[in-house]
Amino acid sequence: MDRVLGDFITSLRHAGVRISISETLDALQTVQLIGYGDRDMLNHSLSAALAKSAREKEIFVRCFDHFFSFDYFAPAEPAARARQAPAEPAVDASLMQMLLAGDQAVLFMAMQEAARAANLMGIQFFTQRSSFTMRIMNRMGVQGLDSMIQQLQTEGTPAALGQAAALEKARTFLVDNVRRYVDQQLSLNMPSATEDLLMSYLRHAKLSTLEQQHLQDMHVIIQRMVKRLNDLHSRRKKTAKRGQLDFKKTLRHNITYQGFLFDPKWKKKKIDRPDIVVICDISRSVMRTVRFLLLFLYGLNKAIARIRTFILCSNLIEVTSIFDEYPVEVAIEKIRLGADLPILMGRTDYDQSFRDFREDYMGSVSRKTTVLILGDARNNYAEAQTGVVKMIYERSKRLIWLNPETPSFWGTGDSEMKKYTPFCSVVKECNTLHHLAGVVTALIHHRH
Amino acid sequence: MQNIPEEKIASPEAIRKGLQDNGYVASRPIATTVFLACQLGKPVLIEGPAGVGKTELAKTAASFLDLPFIRLQSYEGLDESKALYEWKYGKQLLYTQLLKDKLDSIINRENGFSESIDKLHRYDDIFFSRHFLEPRPLLKAIQQEQGAVLLVDEIDKSDDEFEAFLLELLSDFQVSIPEIGTVQAVTKPFVFLTSNNTRELSEALKRRCLHLFIPFPDPALERNIVRIRVPGISERLGRQLIAFIQAVRQLEVRKAPSISETIDWARVMLVLHADQLNIDLVRDTLNVFLKFEEDIAVVTERLHQLTSGAVNAAGD
Repeated sequence: MDRVLGDFITSLRHAGVRISISETLDALQTVQLIGYGDRDMLNHSLSAALAKSAREKEIFVRCFDHFFSFDYFAPAEPAARARQAPAEPAVDASLMQMLLAGDQAVLFMAMQEAARAANLMGIQFFTQRSSFTMRIMNRMGVQGLDSMIQQLQTEGTPAALGQAAALEKARTFLVDNVRRYVDQQLSLNMPSATEDLLMSYLRHAKLSTLEQQHLQDMHVIIQRMVKRLNDLHSRRKKTAKRGQLDFKKTLRHNITYQGFLFDPKWKKKKIDRPDIVVICDISRSVMRTVRFLLLFLYGLNKAIARIRTFILCSNLIEVTSIFDEYPVEVAIEKIRLGADLPILMGRTDYDQSFRDFREDYMGSVSRKTTVLILGDARNNYAEAQTGVVKMIYERSKRLIWLNPETPSFWGTGDSEMKKYTPFCSVVKECNTLHHLAGVVTALIHHRH
Repeated sequence: MQNIPEEKIASPEAIRKGLQDNGYVASRPIATTVFLACQLGKPVLIEGPAGVGKTELAKTAASFLDLPFIRLQSYEGLDESKALYEWKYGKQLLYTQLLKDKLDSIINRENGFSESIDKLHRYDDIFFSRHFLEPRPLLKAIQQEQGAVLLVDEIDKSDDEFEAFLLELLSDFQVSIPEIGTVQAVTKPFVFLTSNNTRELSEALKRRCLHLFIPFPDPALERNIVRIRVPGISERLGRQLIAFIQAVRQLEVRKAPSISETIDWARVMLVLHADQLNIDLVRDTLNVFLKFEEDIAVVTERLHQLTSGAVNAAGD
């Protein structure tokens, strides 16, 4: 395979563009058709074959510019090339000749060759920079150059000293260029390493410790999760007793009866989407986790048709419409701060909140509904009746309680978790994305 | 592959010229991608904002390559009976009724029940043969002897299921009909898919296609397009008009004016016998390229500045 193309694809993959083998083959054919002659055309055609979305195109342009830049060993000063007299016969080290001749292309080729031998594509961290630079220089034969300089200096004749100085200069020039090349390769490779790290960090970090700046990344991860959830709940057509006449099926079926249509078949779209009611605690005790829980709810809300979202603190209100109307950041801030909403941000009162729910919204819970409660069940030592929770449990398909605290804290202090637990189908600790993903899986696979 | 004169698709430049002769001004990325699609026999997925000429590209490619143009508009709920094939049920019924006597005689002459069935079995396939098959766009496209240009328009509007169903067609240019078997393309059609990006398409689909993103054109290209599509318009007015549109695209508008709207506007100017932009003229014709109340309000606010800016930019 074409080595240059291979390297280029590797660096694209590092930068986060997903490239399959079939696309690699396409790119290869493309290059055979187009050739490396026309940079613009190469750019356009590889972009068509490899980058398949706006985001990937952006990355592609960046990588392409980086990768196919050949401004190395450009003469520092225009006169540099003409200045040197032909090398003395004693000088036979090829590196020296190349440097003195100032042939840009040859030097670049030699450097690339050395870089490949030193496995520069494997560079990942900036701490490796100097070692890679050293390795490449050695492969290019810099030791020979050094000893030559020394030898010339000990000779001490004016001509020898002059040449030594010239070589010294050429050496600095070489070091500069190699270092730049290594830097460039590093910048091609590094983002991916850090991005992957960030992603896995985000998955396992406690939601409460995450900073605002990761909100966007989290949003992406959560969207992916919710998409998976929704895909598994796509529509199915189902033969039913009544509905629209399935003409095709009827005819096919009745052909056995000489075409008399006496056994009609019906079709009905069965929408197998989950029906979810979410009740989320937004009080101060869970404040740090809440933002991310809301982010998750927002994602759910966008993807699932039948979902109603409630928040509770001292009382309980419905916020489904806010999720529907506002973009994600605005909606989350609005709900978290409780501004303009009839929510009382006093002491958390689960009892009152559940009573509110029973009064106004009990009708939304049916045998098909999954009820999701997110909260720490810390009731500020107020009385906690389990009546409403029991009622919800009996009416719903499932009641899932997600608690941001670790199980060992449940029931300590003012936590009423132990009291509620018997009336929940599932009780789970939930304070990382990893846990959330688990819940999503549970929502899908636990179908009755 | 296709029976297309070799020189027509010999290089991106040839394709650019050919498209231009058919009234489509292609930028270099567009020409290069079409060239690759011709050479590699791959479908092209075209994305970009509405009205930048995605559908037009497919149409023009068809007329340039002199191939039949087959279009399939996607929508939610599109399924294979509408996209691929359908049995001609009426015809099947009619034939069974017409042939009833024939069938009776075939059955009656035999004594045994199982023998009748055996005999029938020899005939039943005729009702599910190609004669009773109603080809829909996809099947039609792969049955064309000479090849065809198939446009699956706004693929993002269809369901995920349909997208998955397209995969077989796009990678192998064949479709499976359970009653008949696999139908292989006689000649590989050129396939164009367009998407407005209302939803993310699947990786699998993208992998099978070359990807082309058509952005809003730069002023020079747009001027070229207007020159070719609206030949009557004066050079000066054309320049002003495009400077104006380009400036509007920089504003915060709900729907930025597209190329097709620029062309419409240019035509309107032609009908009004305008020879240069002025504020009144622009105000009266804003609704040609702005389709939202709010957008019109935003532009009206800056009308003076935009118009004089456009006139100045056009170098008058």
